[in-house]
Amino acid sequence: MTDAPNGPWFTSLPPCETLVPCGQGRHSVRWEAGELRLPSHADPEAELVLAALGGDKARCVEIAEVWRRHTADLTVLGIGPRGPADEVTVSWDDVDAAGQASWGGGGPGPGAARLASPPVAAMARAAIRRRQYQQEAGEAGQRRLDMLSLLALGTAFQVRLIGQVVAAHADRLDEPDQHGYSIRPALTAALAGRLAPVAEAWLGIDPDQVDVSLYGDDGWGSVELTGRGEQRRLRVSLPAWWLARVWASGLALTGRHLVVAVEGAGWPDAQVLALRAPGAEPVSLSAHAAGHPSGAADAPHWEI
Amino acid sequence: MDREGAETYLRLLAEAAMRGSLAPAAPRAPNASTILVAGHALTAVGALDPVTVEEILTDFRLAVTVRQLHSEPGQGSGQAVTVAQWLGQGRAALRPKPRPAQPPGTGTPGEGTPGEGTPGEDAGQDRGGRFVPVGLTVPFHAGAVSGELCLMSFAQTGTGARFIAAWQVHAPSLEVQLSHHYPGLIPFDEFTVTDDRGARYRLDHTPGSDLAWPNMIRLSPAPPGNIRWLDVAPPYRQAVRVDLGPGGPQAAGSPPVRGVTGGSSPGGDAVQVSVCDTDLSPGEHLLVMLAERLLTGTPELPRRGLLAAPPTRPRQVAAGGFGTIIAALEAAGVLSPLSPVPARLATLCASLDLTGHGIAAPPTLDLPEPWLSLLAHYQRRKPEPTQMREGYAALAASLPELDGIRVTLLGLQHTQGGSALHVLAQGRTPEPSPGPLDIDLNFPLSLWLRDSGGRWHAACPDRCHQADRENAIRLRLVPPLTRPADWVEVLAGGRSAEVRATLPLRWRYLS
Repeated sequence: MTDAPNGPWFTSLPPCETLVPCGQGRHSVRWEAGELRLPSHADPEAELVLAALGGDKARCVEIAEVWRRHTADLTVLGIGPRGPADEVTVSWDDVDAAGQASWGGGGPGPGAARLASPPVAAMARAAIRRRQYQQEAGEAGQRRLDMLSLLALGTAFQVRLIGQVVAAHADRLDEPDQHGYSIRPALTAALAGRLAPVAEAWLGIDPDQVDVSLYGDDGWGSVELTGRGEQRRLRVSLPAWWLARVWASGLALTGRHLVVAVEGAGWPDAQVLALRAPGAEPVSLSAHAAGHPSGAADAPHWEI
Repeated sequence: MDREGAETYLRLLAEAAMRGSLAPAAPRAPNASTILVAGHALTAVGALDPVTVEEILTDFRLAVTVRQLHSEPGQGSGQAVTVAQWLGQGRAALRPKPRPAQPPGTGTPGEGTPGEGTPGEDAGQDRGGRFVPVGLTVPFHAGAVSGELCLMSFAQTGTGARFIAAWQVHAPSLEVQLSHHYPGLIPFDEFTVTDDRGARYRLDHTPGSDLAWPNMIRLSPAPPGNIRWLDVAPPYRQAVRVDLGPGGPQAAGSPPVRGVTGGSSPGGDAVQVSVCDTDLSPGEHLLVMLAERLLTGTPELPRRGLLAAPPTRPRQVAAGGFGTIIAALEAAGVLSPLSPVPARLATLCASLDLTGHGIAAPPTLDLPEPWLSLLAHYQRRKPEPTQMREGYAALAASLPELDGIRVTLLGLQHTQGGSALHVLAQGRTPEPSPGPLDIDLNFPLSLWLRDSGGRWHAACPDRCHQADRENAIRLRLVPPLTRPADWVEVLAGGRSAEVRATLPLRWRYLS
C-alpha cells in the first residue's frame, strides 16, 4: 500500500518551499517528492562533516538534520495542525529566543554534577539520578527546540511532516514503539483529531460526536451515522494511511464529499473514492487541484 | 486489563481538550485537569504507567501553548505565552516524588525506600509479629512539664519494636493535650525502659515520621523477640510494668489465619472475625475508594451549608467529572458497564449536592449501609452532642490478609474532638502514586468502624510511616466517636474479600 498501485503517499502533494535565515542571508528550503532539499547548499553532507570537525553548522543543514530525526516521531502528530483552520505560527525569532533560553538557563552542566571525593552509596545514587535527570531534561529541551524549528518552516511543511510520520508507521501498526507499547493509540488520536473537524464541515455534526477508530482490514473502512440529538454519533473507521494520502494531500473534503481513499494518486489530477453521505456506497471521482482560496501555491485545494 | 484501550481513551480525551482550547465557546470541554484526573485513575488501577500519562499531558500542553505564542489578548482561549515558558513546560505530574534523603545515621536496619515493593510480591514475608494490647497510663513529671504517657499497644516486627501511644502534656504556660500537637515538649529521653533481663532501651520517635505524630514510639535498640516484660519508668517515678509474656494474645511470629485470628480485648474478651468474598474489579475498587474519600472529605456542616462548602479536593474531582473517570476505567477494561458502583456514586453526589459529575448511570437507592450512615450524619440539621471524653482503648488484633495486606489494629484514641484508629499494614506496598484523586494508594483498603450504637465511621489515612513492607498508619475517623462504644465492628474491604471483626473495647480516660 506504500507505493503501489497509485504511487507513494505524497504523489498528490505539490512541492513547497520556504526561506530560512541562514548565515548572513536567507536560504531556500524545499520539500519535494517526500524529501527535504537545500538548494542553497551544494553539499550538505560535506558541511556536516566539517561541522563535526569543529566548524559552524549552517541552519539549513541543522534543519535538514532535525527533519530527518523526526520523520517517524509520533509527537509531531500531537503538536502539529489539525486542519486548515488550525494554523500554528512560529517565527524564526521564536526559534532563536528558544535557543538562547534553552542554553542560558539550564543550570549546572554535566561537569557540576561530578563529585569531588569518593561518594558514599547514597550520594552516588543521588548523583546518578541527578545526571539522569539532567540528561533527560537536556533531551527533552532539544526535542522541543527541534519541534519549534519544524513548526517555523510553516504550515505546508508541517502538514507534509505529519504525512511522513504516518507513512513511517501505517504499515507497521503491530510493531511496538521504543518503549514496547502499541503505536495505535497515538495514531487513533491523530486520526480523530483531524477527521472530527472534517466531519463537522461535511455534515455540521459536533466534532465531539465523532467516534473514530483505526481500520485494519482490506478496503477503505466504514462511515456510519447513528442516533439523534445528543445521542447522534458519526462512527468512522479508516486506515492510518488516510492521514497521509488523503488528509495531508488536502483531499479530505472535496466537492462536498468525504474522500475515504485515493484510487489514482497524482498532481494536479487524482482519482479518489468518496462518500456523499454516511452509509452510502463510495463513488469514484476525478479530482483536480485548483488555486487555493488563500492564494498559497503549496496548499492543495481540490475540486471535483 | 486493556492498556491500549486506556491509552487510546486518554489520547482521545486530550484531542477533545485540544479542540476545546481552539474553540473558546466550549465551556464544557475537557482540559488539562480532566486529563490529569483520568490519567491518575488509569495509573491507580495499573492500566497505564505514570510516564505515559505525563507524556500525553505534556504533549497536550505543548500543543495548546504553541498556538498561544502569538495570540493577542482576547484571541483564543488562553493567554499568550513566551517561548521560554513554552520550553519550560512538562513538569512531573504523576511520577513518584523522590524521597528526601535522610541524614546519615538516622535510618534503622531494615528500613527501605517507600514503593520498592510491588503488587504481587510475596506478602507473606515479614508479616509475623508480636502484637500485645497494653492499656497502661504512665504519669510523668519532667521539669516544668508533666503529663501522661498512654500506652495502647506494643508491636514488634522485623522492622523493630514500638509502642502505639497517646500523650497528654501539661506545661505551665501551655495547657495543652499533646496527642497531636507540640511533640517537642515530650521528654522522650528522660524515660528509661528495662526488660526482664536487665537490658535497657531508649524511647525514640519513629525515624522518618514527622514530629507532629508522636503516636509511634520506637524502642531502641530493638529488644529480642522473646522478652517477657518491659518496665517503663518516667523520670523520678516508679516504673510501670508492661507484660509481654506468653499469656499475651499473639506470640511472636505466629502466622495469620484466614477466618478467626488473634487479638482480644484487654479484658480477655474474644474477637469475632468473619470473611466473605467480594470480587470487585480494579475499577470498582477505585470508585469505592473515591466515594469514601468524597464522604470523608465533605466539610462538617449542616446539610443546608453543603452547597456553600469549600471546594475540597474530592469535591473538585467530583465536580470535574466522575463520568470521565468511569469512562476511562471502562475503556481500560477494569470496570464493567453493568457495574452497580457508578449508580451508587451518582446517588452519593446527588446526596452531597454535587453537580457536574457527569455520571451517566441513574442514581440508585441501593447504597452500602456505611455510606447511608455517613450521609445521615451530613444531613443532620444541628451539631451532634458528644458524650465522649478524651481517652483511648487498647487493641491488638490482626485481621485476615486482604489483597496481600495484613492489617493489625493497634489502638483507638479520642482526643481534641477527633477520633483515630492506629493500624499496622504489612505486606504489599504499592508504588506511591501522587495525583489529583487524593487517595492513599499505600493503603488501598476501605476501612469502616461501626460503634455499639450502630453508627458507622469511615477510617481514612491521616498519617503514615513506611518501612520495608510495613505501613504504620493513623486513620482519622469520620465522623468522630460521640460516645464511648462498648465494642466496635471493623469492616475492612479489599478487592477480593471483606473482613468483619467485632472487638470489645475498654476505654481509659485522660486525667
